[in-house]
Amino acid sequence: MSIEADTPAPPNRSAWLGECFERAREGDRAALRAIVQELNPLLWHVARSQGLSREDAADVVQTAWLELIRSLREIRTAAALTSWLVTITRREAWRVRTRSQRQLPDSDGILGGLADPGPEAAHGLLTSERDRVLWRHFQQLPERCQQLLRIVAQVDRPDYAEVAQAMGMPHGSIGPTRGRCLAKLRQSLLDDPEWSRQ
Amino acid sequence: MSAADPLDDLDHAVLSRLSSIYGRVDPPPPDLNDRVMFAVALDDLLVESLDVEVARLGYDQLVGSGARAAERIRTITFDAASRTVMMTIADRPDNLVRIDGWLAPGEAVRVELRLPEPSAARSAYADDTGRFVFEGVPHGLAQVLVHPPSGTDRPVLVTPSLVL
Repeated sequence: MSIEADTPAPPNRSAWLGECFERAREGDRAALRAIVQELNPLLWHVARSQGLSREDAADVVQTAWLELIRSLREIRTAAALTSWLVTITRREAWRVRTRSQRQLPDSDGILGGLADPGPEAAHGLLTSERDRVLWRHFQQLPERCQQLLRIVAQVDRPDYAEVAQAMGMPHGSIGPTRGRCLAKLRQSLLDDPEWSRQ
Repeated sequence: MSAADPLDDLDHAVLSRLSSIYGRVDPPPPDLNDRVMFAVALDDLLVESLDVEVARLGYDQLVGSGARAAERIRTITFDAASRTVMMTIADRPDNLVRIDGWLAPGEAVRVELRLPEPSAARSAYADDTGRFVFEGVPHGLAQVLVHPPSGTDRPVLVTPSLVL
């Protein structure tokens, strides 16, 4: 199998990631790029869900990858790779957040520290009615649930439980069962005639 | 239809729609992949398995009026367990930048500034007090490596990439 830089992940993502990881460990730059492209959105959302500004989040994601390069030999499998990166990103995000809370606002300012666009800001980007309904109900969830579902939405089914655990969520938060957060979102969607009508 | 039930198609459809929404309301910066690849593309480190210490961005602050590009000075620090790297980055009238750096604790070691290909990496030597200078550096991505004194087995200190 040859790994092209812009090849999207095939259906068996975990096996593919494992193969890329093996090659990256041997110094294959294209394989490393494939892994970076595949996992960056996940790590981005991990950092952003922890309340970092976009600039700090980009920095934290880079730091996590640099730490990975340092620890390449310690990580055995692709599944371990994903949760390892999530754990490091979350830890780094926490470190940066506590640091920025100690300091006066810098050029990034208070506004730059806001984690998420509010429902109003997002509205213009959500052109489908179904997206708007989902987003509205999602925003009503407790913050921990929003964090969990935001992250889990970025990964494949077999990785739900492990990634949730790496996010510091209790066992059984999601995968293999639905878990409290998704059950709550699902119920509020099904109760909404606007969702059911579509 | 409780929390203890297995995930079904509707659950997956909801998660997949959520992922797509987040891709629009808060997408990663378009250059994030390139920045990561630049920061980790340390071929010699990968191949020779050199020991690396990763420095973290301490703070990054723009000083001065900013009214004219030539007056803008940015102060940036990177922290690691072994030492701190402080840099002031000043815009020059010729659209290049000058970097004045200090290592704390100070030590006469080689400091390397990696730039994206095809630009070659540059080297500067810090003096005993840890001061070093890079003149005429182009804007764009860069990464700083602080090499240990030759003959020691201390790790190379690397920073995340920064945008000059």
